[in-house]
Amino acid sequence: MKRILCMLLAVIMVFAVTAGCGKKDNKIVVWVGEESAEFYQKVCDQYVKDNPSFGYTIEVKGVDTGSVAGIVTNDPSAAADIFTTAHDNIGKLAATQCAKPITDEALINQVLADNPASFQNVIYSTLNDKKYLYGVPYISQALFMYYNKAYVTEEQAKSFEGLREAAKAAGMKAITVTGDDGFNMSFALLATKADDHSTTVKIYEGAEATSGGSKGESNCQGDDTIAIIRWLQDFKEDENGFKWASPDGWDADLRNKGCLAVIGGTWHYNTAKAAIGETNLGITLIPTLTLTEKSVEGLTGVKAGDVYRGGTFADCKVFMINATSDNKKYKAEQELVKFLSSKEVQNQSYLECMNVPAYVGASEFIKSCYDEGKVTESEYNLACTQVEMAEWGIPQPFLTGTLNTYYYSKNGPPIFRAIIDKTPYPTTGDQILTETESLEGIRKGLYLIEYIWMHGNNPKEFPSSLPQKA
Amino acid sequence: MDSTLTRVPKNKKSISDLFAPIGKWFSNFGKRFADGSIGTKLSHFIFGAGNFYHKQYIKGALFLILQVAIICFMVFCPTINGTPYGYKALANLSLKNVSEGGDFDPITGEFSAGSDCKLMILFGFVTIAVIIIYFMLMKMSITSSVKADMDEKIGKKPSTFREDVMELFDSRFHITMLTPTCIAALIFTILPTIFMIALAFTTYNSQDMNDKGTNLFHWNGIDNFIAVFTGEGSLGMEIKNRFLPVLGWTFIWAIFATLSCYFGGIILALLINKKGLKGKKIFRTVFIMTIAIPQFISLLAVRNLLGEYGPVNGLLQDIGATSGPIGFLGLHPGDSEALAKVMVIIVNMWVGIPYTMLMTSGILMNIPADLYEAARVDGASTVKMFFKITLPYVIFVTTPYLISSFVGNINSFNTIFLLTGGGPVYTGYQAGGTDLLVTWLYKVTIDQGSYNTGAVIGIFTFIITATITLITYRRSKAYNEEDTFQ
Repeated sequence: MKRILCMLLAVIMVFAVTAGCGKKDNKIVVWVGEESAEFYQKVCDQYVKDNPSFGYTIEVKGVDTGSVAGIVTNDPSAAADIFTTAHDNIGKLAATQCAKPITDEALINQVLADNPASFQNVIYSTLNDKKYLYGVPYISQALFMYYNKAYVTEEQAKSFEGLREAAKAAGMKAITVTGDDGFNMSFALLATKADDHSTTVKIYEGAEATSGGSKGESNCQGDDTIAIIRWLQDFKEDENGFKWASPDGWDADLRNKGCLAVIGGTWHYNTAKAAIGETNLGITLIPTLTLTEKSVEGLTGVKAGDVYRGGTFADCKVFMINATSDNKKYKAEQELVKFLSSKEVQNQSYLECMNVPAYVGASEFIKSCYDEGKVTESEYNLACTQVEMAEWGIPQPFLTGTLNTYYYSKNGPPIFRAIIDKTPYPTTGDQILTETESLEGIRKGLYLIEYIWMHGNNPKEFPSSLPQKA
Repeated sequence: MDSTLTRVPKNKKSISDLFAPIGKWFSNFGKRFADGSIGTKLSHFIFGAGNFYHKQYIKGALFLILQVAIICFMVFCPTINGTPYGYKALANLSLKNVSEGGDFDPITGEFSAGSDCKLMILFGFVTIAVIIIYFMLMKMSITSSVKADMDEKIGKKPSTFREDVMELFDSRFHITMLTPTCIAALIFTILPTIFMIALAFTTYNSQDMNDKGTNLFHWNGIDNFIAVFTGEGSLGMEIKNRFLPVLGWTFIWAIFATLSCYFGGIILALLINKKGLKGKKIFRTVFIMTIAIPQFISLLAVRNLLGEYGPVNGLLQDIGATSGPIGFLGLHPGDSEALAKVMVIIVNMWVGIPYTMLMTSGILMNIPADLYEAARVDGASTVKMFFKITLPYVIFVTTPYLISSFVGNINSFNTIFLLTGGGPVYTGYQAGGTDLLVTWLYKVTIDQGSYNTGAVIGIFTFIITATITLITYRRSKAYNEEDTFQ
């Protein structure tokens, strides 16, 4: 009896270790954001039901969209047949041959007809020197500001100075961010002059979508950038100014009255609502800031009193097709992507998941939903604010895999944070950027960031005199 | 006491003794070939030939099928995800014959994604394992034939297939049970370990590969190991500037975490087992509760308690002891590193002491009462009895536990990762102030994709822990006098 039991256990063990090894050929797996998985599974099930000739079942899985590109580049065969990612990953995924180009004429025509030129510029990449469409936009994204209406008036929310005034009255910090990475810190880096939207910042402007092609032009050492950084340094030191998000989460800051506002996106809506309640949740553009005498000292390109609006990257989420997906599924996958990125599904996605559509003219639909009472005022404001804020932003211009990596993963964002914090920063040449308070220190930090953007590593040494880019 | 702890020297072996079995094996091999039947001789080339010769057809056929299968595997090189096994996999181990891929048919979607160096290495090692299995099968085939020869010589009929199978469920049942375990260990432990060690000698770093827009990597000898000292590797100066501080803190942590939990547990066990104490069961249950609650829940609860908005900071601010929150766990970049280090050691005591207490309680209850009785008669004080009887007894029994606990703390991922996340952050570096080698390893591989550097850190960690374990254990009384303690 004991032996039979032992044998049974051994057999069970063998089955257990081989469980899940099989792969179904008649199934297409789709990865979408966790918050939308249920919705997309529902529409996919309906699609299969309405199109009996489709020939595949569809399984939708919710994933952390920020990690998708990493998972796919690490092991494409472990990823879904169709996956979602932010558009700035397209270059990397195409360069490492983890994604298949889109070739279906009908799908390409739909993409070109529906999407704004700014998105169309950033969804192509090259394969063997031939340009292909890789990503199909279906959600648009931009940063804006959530604030606590219980403490901040609509008027105060229009400027950082107003926020500080409200914060002082409430005995709190004014504002935080949801993260200190390159995307979230775009509110400071991409701030533009309020009257004419101008900025000296350039990130890979004119870069070519080919590996080894031109990296375009970059600049983050302009006087306006330096002045805004100095202003932010002061704002952070102000006891009612800026704070980095709590390690417990930015929502803990809102919930525990640690600060009055946070810069975030639509994907933070539910968390922000849970933190302070829908009635207290205000949504508006990223406020304006006014340069002070101190922030412009020693600079010629700016003057005290100049007003700047916080900036943002205006992005889109795209669907991509996995390079290791079975070729037999290729046609069906493109049909499915065409359906999932159609205006109708994008509209439904807005209504059910608050995903703001990416197509041109989506604001009309958003307005009609509000007029018909399909969305609340707060949900309507959310979408409208994002659309308006996107006009103040630029799409992340990462045309090749290399530039994407340089911007995000080569220590540019930590240097930016170090400058704001006025803390030392180590460089690869064993040179320590010991002071980030002086004009010279800030210039050195920004020189490092710009150098990393262009070369992917730190310079061996600083130039004897830093270029002054007014 | 002294009479019970008599030292018995271990048998010393010379190096020539180690090679003796190998020589004997070759000698037997030749002898068997020379003395064996024609079937046995043929078995060296055609598996199962000896069994066919002795009319053991099923067994012979099984050996032959396996031989043919392995030869086919080696010659025809089956392919998975475009990467071959067999002799091609052995050739691919050089990582020289690689293709960038990129051929694409827009109509069919046919896409050649280029060589997958990871699979090339993995399949190469699998093929080597298959070759080893081939020789093991060869040995089994020959042994089986020799056994049948011997049976015939003594006038016994060679065993039938049914008898062989029955034997596997009777006198050789241990083989039946151990085989799946060994296979699983080979597939899920040994092969991945060899694979990870191999990565330490490659340029497999996803960031660098992304920079170059390629999926390919190659062997680079011991460059990654040298980079630890020169800072020239994929992690730049991080590996040079942070390796020694992280290693140092790992040791400090392991020593303090081990000793604090160990002696804390002993003291607690002594207190709870004190004669005359009422409610012993309740006390034991309370402390066992901390074991029953999953460790990560306890740690996350403490993280919340000590967090920026946690009750501890709230209380301190409410009573006016502090004007702002204290960064107990170093979660903000500017927080105190020393405070975070002290806090993780203290919190670790909370989750670690009950284990030692539980074990020590059992040991204390097993110390022969007559030892204390004799000591009391000799006029020994309580303190003297503790140091002369209790402590030596406990240490003797728990030395292996102490060593495994030390090694476990070197690799204590949960406590550090869940409490401090390795913080406070050192700007520009992955490794924070409280990062251990193992948490740093996680960040280097999962966050940075520097698999080659991660493998190097892993190998260093292994060498350090293995060395400490071996030296300490071999010098401990628990090892040297394991047969003597009564």
